[in-house]
Amino acid sequence: MLLELAQWLAKDIRAFNVFGYITLRAVLACLTALVITFMVGPTMIRRLTSYKIGQSVRDDGPQSHLPKAGTPTMGGALILVAVVVTTLLWADLQNRFVWVVLAVTVGFGAVGWVDDYRKVVHRNPKGLSARTKFFYQSLIGIAAAYFIAFTTNLPAQTEFIVPFFKNIAYPLGVFGFMVLTYLVIVGTSNAVNLTDGLDGLAIMPTVMIAGALGIFAYVAGNVVFARYLGFPHIPGAGELAVFCGALAGAGLAFLWFNAYPAEVFMGDVGALALGAALGTVAVIVRQEIVLFIMGGVFVVETLSVMLQVASFKLTGKRIFRMAPLHHHYELKGWKENQVVVRFWIITMMLVLVGLSTLKLR
Amino acid sequence: MREAHRGLIWGRLMRNARYDDTRIHPRFWIITMMLVLVGLSTLKLR
Repeated sequence: MLLELAQWLAKDIRAFNVFGYITLRAVLACLTALVITFMVGPTMIRRLTSYKIGQSVRDDGPQSHLPKAGTPTMGGALILVAVVVTTLLWADLQNRFVWVVLAVTVGFGAVGWVDDYRKVVHRNPKGLSARTKFFYQSLIGIAAAYFIAFTTNLPAQTEFIVPFFKNIAYPLGVFGFMVLTYLVIVGTSNAVNLTDGLDGLAIMPTVMIAGALGIFAYVAGNVVFARYLGFPHIPGAGELAVFCGALAGAGLAFLWFNAYPAEVFMGDVGALALGAALGTVAVIVRQEIVLFIMGGVFVVETLSVMLQVASFKLTGKRIFRMAPLHHHYELKGWKENQVVVRFWIITMMLVLVGLSTLKLR
Repeated sequence: MREAHRGLIWGRLMRNARYDDTRIHPRFWIITMMLVLVGLSTLKLR
């Protein structure tokens, strides 16, 4: 929206041409989302508290979590509002990638919203049934995959890129691309949701990965950098750097309120939407494996749940003291803050490894 | 500091801060990150 305004003003005042640069708009989007979240946050937390939209805590979880009961949840809506408003303000609204990422984010947010709403307002502990939730996630994932697959105009946009190898790229074809896209979007969404169990644990890795994916999007969308670094050039993908900037800014500001001891939780409305957003950006910029590397904490948390369930069903024994993995470390004696900051450090290292694939190929 | 800024946005954001408040550390990291962003924007804004 502001891009169009700047372009119109630039006809008379050339200085407004500076807003045409994606890098500047990404930084401004980040700061705008930060400010929106900071401004709206306290009011929203007060509202959520007054409506008694409080989180219920699992009875079988660590004892140290019992005092968290009643902390306002559904704060993810705050992130979504900031991201959507900021993206509409700073991104190029003619860009199809911007719209598909926004649609997926809002769609998954809506699924999470219904789930949270039923749990905390209707006091229905089951919320949406797992099957219903998965059905709607799949519906949005398939729709997004279909849209991206049938609007690509270059074969490179559907190739499976292997990091660290310059010349290895597997053509997936339309069906293969759609299956991969669906799995990445739905998988990342649920992985972030599983990780969201400690104060600040899910949001900071999301911020770091969004920042890194923003760099990948910028490179993929810039013909000079893409050619220099040996990446497939994806026209229009650079605009996703603005979306990633907004995501990082809103997430960072949300952490202000979500830091231990949290004043608000993001709930499914935030976790499902943020995960789906990261997954969608990763498939558009063709960096699924890099997302897998950078989101190692999300991957390991998900694997810990799968292994725990499989082991218990097959042998009757548990591998971890409790799943997801963050609870295992809490029960081993780590303080909540230690688990969270250490998982952030691991993510920071993994994001650096992911970013190294820009050049190491 | 907190008293001096009561009523301003800073005061609202820091209203729960106490010496033993673990939120202070990440909040100062966030402020630093914002300042780094502003610094980075000077790459282009000149």
